[in-house]
Amino acid sequence: MSISLEKEHAPSVEEGILIFIFADMCMFALFFISYLMERNADLAVYISSQAKLNQSMGAVNTLILLLSSWFVVLAVKALKRNAERACALFLASAFSCGVVFIINKAIEYHAKIQDGITILSNDFFMFYYIITGIHLLHVLGGMIVLLVLFINTRRGKYSANNVAAVEGGGIYWHMVDLLWVFIFPLIYFLGA
Amino acid sequence: MDEKTAFRHELISAWCGPAFLISFIIFWVIIGQNFPNPSPALTAEALQARYAENLGSIRLGFIMSMIIVVFYLPWTALLSTQMARVEGRFPVMAYLQLLGGGLTVMVVSFSAFFWVAAAFRPDQDPATTQMLTDLGWLCIDLQYACTTLQMIAAALVGLADKREVPLFPRWACYVTIWCGLSFLPASLTGVVKTGPFAWDGMLSYYIPYACWLGWYTIASTYMIKEVHRRIKASEDTALANPSLSRA
Repeated sequence: MSISLEKEHAPSVEEGILIFIFADMCMFALFFISYLMERNADLAVYISSQAKLNQSMGAVNTLILLLSSWFVVLAVKALKRNAERACALFLASAFSCGVVFIINKAIEYHAKIQDGITILSNDFFMFYYIITGIHLLHVLGGMIVLLVLFINTRRGKYSANNVAAVEGGGIYWHMVDLLWVFIFPLIYFLGA
Repeated sequence: MDEKTAFRHELISAWCGPAFLISFIIFWVIIGQNFPNPSPALTAEALQARYAENLGSIRLGFIMSMIIVVFYLPWTALLSTQMARVEGRFPVMAYLQLLGGGLTVMVVSFSAFFWVAAAFRPDQDPATTQMLTDLGWLCIDLQYACTTLQMIAAALVGLADKREVPLFPRWACYVTIWCGLSFLPASLTGVVKTGPFAWDGMLSYYIPYACWLGWYTIASTYMIKEVHRRIKASEDTALANPSLSRA
């Protein structure tokens, strides 16, 4: 199999979307920096609270998002060879992963609240709820984007010559995934 | 009204943008002692002492803030006009932007009004001072959604603007949407008293306010450019057809 380098050019998405994503990642970087700074000031509380989190739930969600990112890659590749039905199928699969992520998160939040742990319990749980909550809003936003892309693909709006929208939405979804890949170790695992 | 007068009104409205920006920073941020702003974790007594130490400055800052905030109104009206030209006969987003901008002024105005009330009787029960200060901050920090809608309306029209020279460049529209959404963490000011999400924190105060004023600066710049572009186009037409300008 030969690899044609010419076809693997950079994504042709709008620079505005990239600016939006960059700004969003800067925002999360600030979340992480403030979390780490507050954490260093009160390490014992953070470590004992962290132990109450369900790490396997977090790990499952990491795998789900990584899987969904892979589906988005497959969707873009399918569209580039004009396989619109396959593209729509992969977008729907990525969307379904988002649904599973949300159900998983709802179970996790519910269990925490049942144990009497809320946003006001201590600073660690404030960060836990806020960072994972704002990330969850990004997952929801990304799913709306995936849904719109799915509907438009089914209506035949995109083709190999018109992939910018799917690639732009795909990059956004990768960012949602990437953010979780940072959030998971920082909040669930980070040691002393 | 002749065209020249209309252009003059547009230009004045556009320059209300920088006027708002500069006077807001002077009166609300600096003279009003909002850099840094009082922490929600202050005790009532410490908060009252803060008012007592800066009484004249806080009164001047916020009484003036309630006046200068109206510079936001002509600017909002101009932005709606410029958006309506893009939208055509049924400018829904222009109306939405107008409502969002108008309500933003009331939110900012009411918060300053609460702080003036808090400073009105410096020897009152400290708990009252604390409550009025709380009302002011919760008023401005929890009611950002009108401003978010104002910004998203402007960005959507900006993105749909297919003219040769659009009102806003596309990157500015995406930045606008993001800036509008960056206000979201400020909702946590209704719950927490310390940390980055409290009303004196990085993520609920410094970043959202910087994003709001940053967007305002970008939008003002392009709005002033658009007015000058229209004035120039009109002058060019007049030069090309001297008979038309006399009519």
